[in-house]
Amino acid sequence: MTRHLLTAAILGGFVILLVACAEMLGIRVFDRIATNLCISLILVLGLQVFMGNSGILSFAHIGFMGVGAYTSAVLTIPLQMKGMALPELYLVFKGVQLSPYLAIPIAGLVAAAVAAALSYPLMRLSDAAAVITSFALLVVLHTVMTNWSNVTNGPRTLFGVPRATDLTLAAGVAIAALLGALAFKESRTGRLLRASRDDEVAAGALGLHIPHLRWRAFVLAALFAGIGGALWGHFITSFSPNAFYLRETFVILGMLVIGGANTVTGAVVGTFIVTGAFEGLRSLEGSLNSAKIFSEQVIGLTEVVLALAMIAVLILRPGGLFPSREIGAIIVRALSKRERST
Amino acid sequence: MTGPSDKGASLRVVDVAVEFSGLRALDGVSLTLSPGEIVGLIGPNGSGKTTLINAITGQVPLAGGQVVLGDRPLSGLAPRDIALLGLSRSFQIVRLFNNMTVIENVEAGALAHGHGLRKARAKAEALLDEFGLSARADDLGGNLSYGDKRRVEIARALASDPAFLMLDEPAAGMNEAETETLLHKLSALPASRGLGLLIIDHDMGLIMRLCDRLHVLAFGRTIAEGKAADIRKDPAVIQAYLGSEAGIGAAHA
Repeated sequence: MTRHLLTAAILGGFVILLVACAEMLGIRVFDRIATNLCISLILVLGLQVFMGNSGILSFAHIGFMGVGAYTSAVLTIPLQMKGMALPELYLVFKGVQLSPYLAIPIAGLVAAAVAAALSYPLMRLSDAAAVITSFALLVVLHTVMTNWSNVTNGPRTLFGVPRATDLTLAAGVAIAALLGALAFKESRTGRLLRASRDDEVAAGALGLHIPHLRWRAFVLAALFAGIGGALWGHFITSFSPNAFYLRETFVILGMLVIGGANTVTGAVVGTFIVTGAFEGLRSLEGSLNSAKIFSEQVIGLTEVVLALAMIAVLILRPGGLFPSREIGAIIVRALSKRERST
Repeated sequence: MTGPSDKGASLRVVDVAVEFSGLRALDGVSLTLSPGEIVGLIGPNGSGKTTLINAITGQVPLAGGQVVLGDRPLSGLAPRDIALLGLSRSFQIVRLFNNMTVIENVEAGALAHGHGLRKARAKAEALLDEFGLSARADDLGGNLSYGDKRRVEIARALASDPAFLMLDEPAAGMNEAETETLLHKLSALPASRGLGLLIIDHDMGLIMRLCDRLHVLAFGRTIAEGKAADIRKDPAVIQAYLGSEAGIGAAHA
């Protein structure tokens, strides 16, 4: 128990430290970066809930982020703007305008409900088949988002989403997600799911209902993704379906894989490292371009480095930086070992 | 969902056949395992011992015959349903949850049968203590020695309070002292837990001392069954098993 509390305290401490730094610096750009980091953290933790515990790579995660973002947008765009922002909106929603703080949890629940309905039959699949179907699910969700003009304004940008997400809110939800992911991992379902991740045959022979365990994790992951998507929507205020597709998928996946999918610590560390590296590279790119060292503009540095970092991690440390133990467990073990040796 | 529905019932394998793409791996094998007894399953390599355990626990489909627990047919049920009826097993090639700690591995056995987290922890601690694994409780399953892995696997199988336990070469990879300790642990199980034990092993010394009855397979068929002492003298067994008069007696000595 001590070790779980220690893990929660250390990882929560990271987020609080981030908020404190941003508040003290008081620079707008840093505030934006920190808020984005907290939203990414919610998404990465959601992916960890499913992928880390079940061992199945899921590409569909960002699709549920989109479901959350659009749900919250439809519910919160001010009445006088609805005609312009969503001209084809269904009559039922035309008169609806909720507070974003109410719409965000609803968005999470809608994403979870969609995931619950879509995923149950898919959870019987393992390995490559499961990964391919999750990719197909992402494509299906994306296609629906780009074509369901009534609620998404089609492939065009949806604007007029009220701004509601600030750093404190994003950080608060991120800490809640952190505690949720840790609690799930140590719950009965989480433990049995991890058993099935390590050996499906042995888990079946113990009497586990593997598809059902996976399904619970998938629905919880979609809840995280939906809430994260809604927060992001209320932060960025205008977006198109392309925001919830391959680019975002690989960024979130990269964060989790680099940190270590099996642990919540890995999810948090990966998010911080990749966000830090991205922002560093972006400003490097900016200064290279403004200094005009090269005749052409330097673009795509972040993507190249993320790809190389993922390849390097997969070769050198396939489980990521924190492959099997949480930070709290590592510290407690190290302390008790030192005690024994003295 | 918790434990077997009819404790005290016997496990009967009736005229079971298993085929792998036309090849008969098991042909008309019948065997009975009652609570409180230890039955040894022996035979040369490739005789179908592991396949018989796989057939009982639902890992391979039957081509004929049936497996019955009390008067409940198990044939056709998924491995998980069979496990929930109280049949537990270990694997010939150890299958631990390598990224989980030893205690989490054993807890999984109890959790799978509906126990809560606290109860599962208490059960796991008791089992680790019983198998001398307490010092390893916090190590990852994948980092253990082969002998320790075997013991964790047995402890995990026991955590679900099975009515029948099937062990596939539990002593493989253990040294003599470890084997001796294991022998004492295993021989006490039927009395202390009221379970029936089916055990495959190549260590004839272990098998002869441990088992009440032996069942001998060769080429997927039963060639002998009965008391250990009789089996040792059975000419068909000596012929099939080692192909020489020296036979099992030598292996035992």
